Amino acid sequence: MTTLRDDVFGALASPTRRELLNLLLTGPRTVNDLASHFDMRRPSVSEHLKVLRDAELVTEQKVGRERHYQLEAEPLMKLQHWLHPYEQFWRERMKALGEVLEDM
Amino acid sequence: MNDVAHGTIHLDEFLPHAPHKVWRALTEPELIARWLMPNDFKLEVGHRFTFRSRPMPDVGFGGICHSEVLAFEVGHMLRIAWRAAPEDRSSLDSVVTFTLEPEGRGTRLFLTHDGFDPGDPLQALSHRIMGSGWKGIGRRVAAAIENAG
Repeated sequence: MTTLRDDVFGALASPTRRELLNLLLTGPRTVNDLASHFDMRRPSVSEHLKVLRDAELVTEQKVGRERHYQLEAEPLMKLQHWLHPYEQFWRERMKALGEVLEDM
Repeated sequence: MNDVAHGTIHLDEFLPHAPHKVWRALTEPELIARWLMPNDFKLEVGHRFTFRSRPMPDVGFGGICHSEVLAFEVGHMLRIAWRAAPEDRSSLDSVVTFTLEPEGRGTRLFLTHDGFDPGDPLQALSHRIMGSGWKGIGRRVAAAIENAG
């Protein structure tokens, strides 16, 4: 099983960064677009984005003169798995139970 | 569906089989072994048994579940304790309840897994993250990936 990087938790500790991830769920966005959702200066938003980038939760792509940020799903999937190992476990077992019943 | 992180897990599933058949699959050791894990289960309140499961290193669970039959109503409800081994880092001490309801020509099986330990530092951390607006985001990520895929 893969494990989570420690810096993912640090990155998620901030409400602003969680909101940034939330905004990116619908697709890539530019820094300006992201910054427009916050009551803070753009450099501060960029700082938060850097933390997310360092934790590999988002990646940055240059499109012309703009920087687009997009979500990296894998660490989030790992996080989800870490938070809900038993839920996933039971979903798998329920499926197996259905198969056993078919054979009975 | 999940109420809160490491709070209570609720799942339910329609099984196109009669309740008495589902009950057998939940309570006969050789059948349990086929869908859950090898076990020395006995349908007897107070019976202690172990399950061998997949280890979950992320939550400090070594793979051996120490279990006990807590209660049952034949054909309707089975409640078992679900505890981590004493040597595990996990302080998992939880309860799994299966409830069967007849539905049409089959059975609605409800599964509740609750009683996780909120004092566990790992669980407390995940609870903090989940409790502050994070809830459900992983599922939305999964949905987004499926839609894109």
